[in-house]
Amino acid sequence: MSDPRDNVQQEFLAEAQELVEALSRDLLLLDEAYHRDERVEPALINEIFRSVHTLKGIAGMFGYRHVGTVAHALEDLLDDLRLGRAAVGQELLDVLFDSVERFQRLLALDDPQSPGEDASVHEYIAAIRSVGMEPQAEIGDPLDKYNIEAEVLAVLTEYEEHRLRACIREGLLLYRLRAAFDLAAIDDSIESLRDDAQSDAEIITYLPSMEGGNEDTIELVVLLASGVSHEELRTKFESRYGTIEPIEERTHLPTLPPQATSIPAAPPSMRAHTEDESAQASLRSVADSVRVDIRKLDHLMNVVGELALVRSAVNRVVDGLQGDSIYRQSMMDLDRIGRSFERQLSELRTGILDVRMVPLGQVFNKLARIVRQSARDNDKQVRLVVTGADTEVDKLIVEELTDPLMHLVRNAIDHGIEPSSDRELAHKRSEGTLALNAYHKGSNVVIEVEDDGGGMNAHKLRETALARGLLGAEASQELSRQDMLNLVFLPGLSTSKEVTDMSGRGVGMDVVKTNILRMGGMISIASEEEIGTKITITLPITLAIIRTLIVTIASRTFALPITAVREAIPYVPSEVRSIQGREVITVRGETLAICDLARVFGLRGPSEREGSFVVVGSMGNRELGFVVDDLHGQEDVIIKSLGKSLSSVRGFAGATDIGDQKVALVLDAPALFAEYFDGPEIVPTLETRP
Amino acid sequence: MSPGTVRATATLAPDPTSETGAVPVLAVCAGEEVYGFPLSSVREILVPPPIALVPRAPDAVLGVISVRGQIITLLDLPKMLHLELEQVNPYGRVLLIDNGDELIGVAVDSVIQVYRMEPNHIEYASAMSAELSDYVVGIGRIPARDQDAEPEMLILIDPVSLLGG
Repeated sequence: MSDPRDNVQQEFLAEAQELVEALSRDLLLLDEAYHRDERVEPALINEIFRSVHTLKGIAGMFGYRHVGTVAHALEDLLDDLRLGRAAVGQELLDVLFDSVERFQRLLALDDPQSPGEDASVHEYIAAIRSVGMEPQAEIGDPLDKYNIEAEVLAVLTEYEEHRLRACIREGLLLYRLRAAFDLAAIDDSIESLRDDAQSDAEIITYLPSMEGGNEDTIELVVLLASGVSHEELRTKFESRYGTIEPIEERTHLPTLPPQATSIPAAPPSMRAHTEDESAQASLRSVADSVRVDIRKLDHLMNVVGELALVRSAVNRVVDGLQGDSIYRQSMMDLDRIGRSFERQLSELRTGILDVRMVPLGQVFNKLARIVRQSARDNDKQVRLVVTGADTEVDKLIVEELTDPLMHLVRNAIDHGIEPSSDRELAHKRSEGTLALNAYHKGSNVVIEVEDDGGGMNAHKLRETALARGLLGAEASQELSRQDMLNLVFLPGLSTSKEVTDMSGRGVGMDVVKTNILRMGGMISIASEEEIGTKITITLPITLAIIRTLIVTIASRTFALPITAVREAIPYVPSEVRSIQGREVITVRGETLAICDLARVFGLRGPSEREGSFVVVGSMGNRELGFVVDDLHGQEDVIIKSLGKSLSSVRGFAGATDIGDQKVALVLDAPALFAEYFDGPEIVPTLETRP
Repeated sequence: MSPGTVRATATLAPDPTSETGAVPVLAVCAGEEVYGFPLSSVREILVPPPIALVPRAPDAVLGVISVRGQIITLLDLPKMLHLELEQVNPYGRVLLIDNGDELIGVAVDSVIQVYRMEPNHIEYASAMSAELSDYVVGIGRIPARDQDAEPEMLILIDPVSLLGG
């Protein structure tokens, strides 16, 4: 994302990404249905088809040749699947799942036309073609079983005809529903019929009836396939829609008089059967949300910060007028307006933070793919149960969470959940369960990764830690069981008997822990042998990451937000002059006021040496040099507030972890500027979070 | 009776298992004095992590520490009570105290033990004329095991007023 592609391109990428995510989600549903031997919902295959079709379309428009080619080949395969010319099987699922990763890689290419990808794309297309080739045995035409009018059969689309055959093959019974619909509300009525029918019956097609109807109503004959008895369907449909009757097998259909009952009901459109139109329909349905580059939100956040500065500047002017009695009324008004302004500002800040929230489902979907892959690689049976996928957290957290969670999930499958044979011996269900739970708790979000596998052997952990020299023999005697479990977070400790490809190289849990801590979160572990393991992660719902320059002042570490820094130059004390009681130096012919932070903060002992660098900060049209001892490069830090107890301390925007449990204070550049130029009494303090 | 004391007594929740309404109190030692915190307010006892000094903070603030990613203000107990004692030894432990608003770290020399303080052994600050600091609920007397020995005294701290408000 770092190269400056134009906006349209970004829009495309975002949309393509969404389509690929939708594809991935639907494939998981398909995979689940297949593995449970459930009937595959034709609507699901249609949905997958539509995602790929749309992707093909937009990839073509934006010159993503490879994406287009792959999508095209997949579309053919999915069309075959849709029309029953190919069957869902393990191999086919593997090929489909492979597409998700491939699309993501192809979309990430700097050069979407890159010839370097030609070979791998062709190889993949060959794979797609080969799974699509499996012919399906046709055992007579099931349509012969039923006496369906030729004129009906003649107008069925290929897809409808396939569904009709498939339903008969599944042993479903066919019914004919005659219902009159109000012309004005026909789209809604049909949609509500679809909704009603969904649980019990599949709508094969609907055709206008030759009979009945008048100016305002139209009678439709709806062909339904259902496993439910006639009686049940009658109670369900007759009162609301119209007469329903079974289509008899191989006998003559009695011609029933049409009983038109017009009941206009609720929701949308006569499903268009051409793929193009349905693809467009799905595009329209997402039109009520917008995608925004997170950097734009960061920018807005900065603007809010600037506004706070403006507000304090106004305050200064107001303070200057104080004591002048003729302004009394105006002062009161200003004060009132000022407070209202602050309220709105704080609401604005909250609003922007809110926009940054995304559901955790985004990560969970990725994890679901990994669960599937890991389970297959390990030859284990794993059922994934997800709750709270709609729990929202800051976008940045979602991104930072992916790697740690991925690791935990792999660990759970590689080392937690036992092979089916072992599970059966232990009288457990042969299929292991991995649960991903998310929920809000106060201003935190809690994420649990829980498996019902073999659990962790606390004593073995201690032995390993001892053997690796991570733990003294004496200390090891005092450990509680929980302490032993926590050893798993030590760097260099791996408990798996064999080191596998994916996890268990002993670099896992400590990295997970470090990542979670870096986000200001916590991680804890609970495990019972033979019962399972639960890892709980608690995170703040939102966090603010800023880029800072790390400096030392009187041997203490501070972070200076980079937005305020223009450059850093060596500090030569002998060049310092004094103008009107202020220290200045000359930089490229210009006078620059300097501010010795060690002295301002009262940190310099009498014997300590002076600083050796000047960090030139700029704020609006003002410039100020901060004298510091040393520079330690730039770092992205998560800024945390100093807590209520220190809210009156000025000059610091917050604090941040810099590893090893050490903390660095983050300097509040606007406040320091204001303090230097305007005096300490009216220093504006910028809130760092609401 | 200052408002602080009213709130504090609410946090001195008696042990429900006690028939006499005894309050569990964690006794700690800091700068030659013994202090007591209502056990219900003590979240955790830590080995002191590295402390980052906060320039311009009040005198009693030693700095901030990071506890599992959370930034926590660390207080020096004797300084809170304006007892001018020179801290000679490095702090041995940090208590994490929930003052109802945020977690506050309190640096102490050592943790002694938990006492079950009987209500009639607590002398509330409001009942004393002495100008005791707002942070003090009162003085607790721990009867010595030896009948003849002097009972030990501890200063009962009001966690709610620790930098609260």
